[in-house]
Amino acid sequence: MIRNKLKKLAVVGVAFFALEAAAVDFSGKTIEIVVPFSPGGATFVSAKFLEPYLEKHLPGNPDINVVDRPGGGSILGANWFEKNAKSDGTTILFTTSSTANPFVLGKKGVEYRLADYRIAYSHPFSAVAYTSPGTGIKTAKDVKNSKQPLVYGGIAAAASDLPGLLSFEVLGLDVKSVLGFKGRGPARLAFAQGETNLDYQFTPVYLTQVVPSVAEGKAVPLWTGGAVDSEGKLRKRDPIAPELPSVYEVHKQLYGKEPSGIKWQAFEAIASVTYAYGLTAYMHPDTSQDILDVFAKAANDINNDPAFQAESKKVTNGARLSAGPETEKAIKGALKPSPEVKKYLVDLLTSKFGVKF
Amino acid sequence: MLEHALPAFLALIDPVRISALLAGMAVGMIFGMLPGLGGVAAVSILLPFIYLLDDYSGLAMLLGAVAVVYTADTITSVLLGAPGSPASAPTAIEGHALAKQGKAAEALGVGFLASMVGGLLGAVVLLFAIPVAGPIVLSLGTPELFMFAVVGLFFASSMLGKNLAKGLAAALFGIFIGSIGPASAEADFRFTLDQVYLLDGLSLTIVALGLFGVAEVIAMLASGGGISGGAVPVTNWRNGFVEFVKHRWLILRSALIGVFGGFVPAVGASASTWVAYGHAIRSSKEPKKFGKGDIRGVAAAEGANNATIISDLIPTLLFSVPGGPAAAIFLGAMFSFGYYPGPRMITQNPDVMFLIVWSVALASVIGALICFAVTPALARLTKLPFALIAAPLVLVMVMGAYQSTGTMGDMVMLLLLGLIGWAMKHADWPRAPALVGFVLADPMEQYFWLSNQIHGWSWLARPGVIIIILLLVTPLIYRWWKARKEMSETSSTDDSRDSDAGDLRVNFGLALVLLGVFVWAFFSSLEFSPDSRLLPWLAILPGIPIFAWLVYQSSKNLAASDKTDALSEIPYLLALGIYVLGIYLLGFYVATVPFVAWMLFGCAGSRPITGLAYGAVIYGLSIFLFGMLRGGPPGGIFF
Repeated sequence: MIRNKLKKLAVVGVAFFALEAAAVDFSGKTIEIVVPFSPGGATFVSAKFLEPYLEKHLPGNPDINVVDRPGGGSILGANWFEKNAKSDGTTILFTTSSTANPFVLGKKGVEYRLADYRIAYSHPFSAVAYTSPGTGIKTAKDVKNSKQPLVYGGIAAAASDLPGLLSFEVLGLDVKSVLGFKGRGPARLAFAQGETNLDYQFTPVYLTQVVPSVAEGKAVPLWTGGAVDSEGKLRKRDPIAPELPSVYEVHKQLYGKEPSGIKWQAFEAIASVTYAYGLTAYMHPDTSQDILDVFAKAANDINNDPAFQAESKKVTNGARLSAGPETEKAIKGALKPSPEVKKYLVDLLTSKFGVKF
Repeated sequence: MLEHALPAFLALIDPVRISALLAGMAVGMIFGMLPGLGGVAAVSILLPFIYLLDDYSGLAMLLGAVAVVYTADTITSVLLGAPGSPASAPTAIEGHALAKQGKAAEALGVGFLASMVGGLLGAVVLLFAIPVAGPIVLSLGTPELFMFAVVGLFFASSMLGKNLAKGLAAALFGIFIGSIGPASAEADFRFTLDQVYLLDGLSLTIVALGLFGVAEVIAMLASGGGISGGAVPVTNWRNGFVEFVKHRWLILRSALIGVFGGFVPAVGASASTWVAYGHAIRSSKEPKKFGKGDIRGVAAAEGANNATIISDLIPTLLFSVPGGPAAAIFLGAMFSFGYYPGPRMITQNPDVMFLIVWSVALASVIGALICFAVTPALARLTKLPFALIAAPLVLVMVMGAYQSTGTMGDMVMLLLLGLIGWAMKHADWPRAPALVGFVLADPMEQYFWLSNQIHGWSWLARPGVIIIILLLVTPLIYRWWKARKEMSETSSTDDSRDSDAGDLRVNFGLALVLLGVFVWAFFSSLEFSPDSRLLPWLAILPGIPIFAWLVYQSSKNLAASDKTDALSEIPYLLALGIYVLGIYLLGFYVATVPFVAWMLFGCAGSRPITGLAYGAVIYGLSIFLFGMLRGGPPGGIFF
């Protein structure tokens, strides 16, 4: 009885401090998480992975429904969200830089206003670069002294390969980029077959597929894209693979100074949305701050949930959710690069990779 | 390793798990039978349920569905002539022709047994995946994968049929629609008309449904209350077994082709099915019989498609690279259960490997048995007026098409391709080459581009490539040499060309429209980079003169044309078009009511009470299925 009263008192207290926040309650509601890719893809799997934790930690324990809407390289699903999303926090677009890059580059067919969307939470999606032992490269420092011409296998320049290709620009590497693979999986097979010798893989795949090859001496890990530090710069080592340097560090090792200039700015902008905020949950532009606060709290609770920690240790080496105003600011900043960066990207993609705008 | 076989089997026959397997099989069989809905839809619909079960049961459920889709689709293909799934189009061609000759039981029996063999072979290969399949997959570089696509195209040439111009026209049309969407490396997006919908290219399901399914349904609606096809007796399985034993080696070879198709990522069951079908034609002494109902076509296609979908799991389990779309979803499910397939899978989780092998093997055998058991009852349905069967089929096809992207574009595309498929049917163009061209266009271009990018032209000298070229060319030279010898002995050509096959007006219209499209495509392709132009030009450059020739040829006797089939079916096509427009404006809920009413009362001539009850049932079921698949049917602009 007393405990019940105390509980009530506590509720009143919280309500006093955050009159409206307490009103956010999803009980009996269904939250639809739209994934603009096929089921079975990495984004869909990640959304399913987070589903039980969101159901557990959001107020009212809503029913979460992950729906796939593939097509148009994720543009169709995002356009659907633009037309159909509700502003009460029950529709979420959960996607990657494949949706962000066409928006940033202003490609045709994009109807969604990604930079106007609110950000509910985000999960890192870091990537690790590795090479084959045949290149003679032992660590990132040797990367300019490869015995073989470096060949990278990717999907498409203007999509998720963009940060990887930009990292080669930043580091001044002479890499032959073979684009046109149907996915990172087939590109990894081409690496195993010896057709390519430089590859990027996202963390879960790196940990489960590439790490065994490293142990067998069939792959040499090089660097990660890096992580965002307290100043919002992409300089830190990625906690997912802390033994590997970030692109920022590799540049310093190779050239003795920190990277700067338009190439670095472009890499930093694109790599942030691809790696540090790789999987991001977007909401309708009119979503109220209370709802966002509730999601930020849930993200924090999930990070502290021992079950989540144990599971994410296995899959992503302990990657954590981020949410709140800082995260939102960082992502929105990356979605609106300066005109110079945008021009550099468009020029690079047009001249080097033949992309048409 | 083998010591894990028995414990895994015992784990699987636990009551909950075996029930999960059977439940998965039930869903797989239903979706296999429904045209347009196949393995992907079955696995997607089961996905939410597997999370309620333990890992073994969940995986068994998905595998049960995957393993029987290509067994059950035989039923629809043979009885109705509309392919139950894209990969059973050859079965629809040959099997349905056999059914019309009263040999449905034979076609079905061979189809089920061949599917079972394909599934079992796939399971065996899975078992030896690590020592055998792993090195094979790793030895196949992009040049070898390109050569596989060429082999497919080569085999497709045997499906061109008696009228070479029409066969080529169909194949080139297929390659052309296969080139819509992103060129390799996405430097160019071809023929997209600025529609986001076309950015990914066309969906195989919609192309198969459009080219084959729509025309069949229109014909069924047009025949209305009649049962002109007559009842299909399916009672005597004996002939089926006899034919199965007779063609056992062909089935085994086809299953092997299917297994290889599964090794190769991104080459689906459809491609290997066509290759196996082409192989059956090539290895036959009387290839002319194909297309008119040849049991070997069914045997080859069903042996191959089931083997492919099972061996799609090989790259999935060995390298975490899904071999096909259903395997991709399965991979996602494995991730969710905390299994990360890869080279270590067999040492880390041998129990799971064996569970998968047993599930697939059990489902293949039980699935074939169930098909034998339910078919006589289903065959009785064919005694119903055709329009009554057509009504739910139309709804299912719309639903199947809508699964591709969940936008209106899916339905418009189904209608457009349906119109073309209908015209091809009436103009007597073979539709198989069109589907083969479409299926192979993408891997051909992709692997050609990658091979040249990675290796330059030196890939032509790779041993694997040379072996495949020799395998292709040697029989050709032998045949040519033999044919030359025979020619000198007998010079008889009794191959009288039946130029009046097909409706000349439809032929004229179809060729004229496609000529226009190709001319437009030629000019629009001039803006592409040279690399992106290669594939479309492969279709366009020979296509324009061939279409022009077909237009000229059919225009000569246009007035003399006396066929009326096509003319009488036009109102039904229009009705389908109005229905799609209705969905666009009013949404599925509203537009479907008058359309179903029209099909039942207008076409089938149902009595008020039974029609109302039947209509309500299929309306309710379609809404239920829609809800399960994609959060509800499409709404319209006004509702």
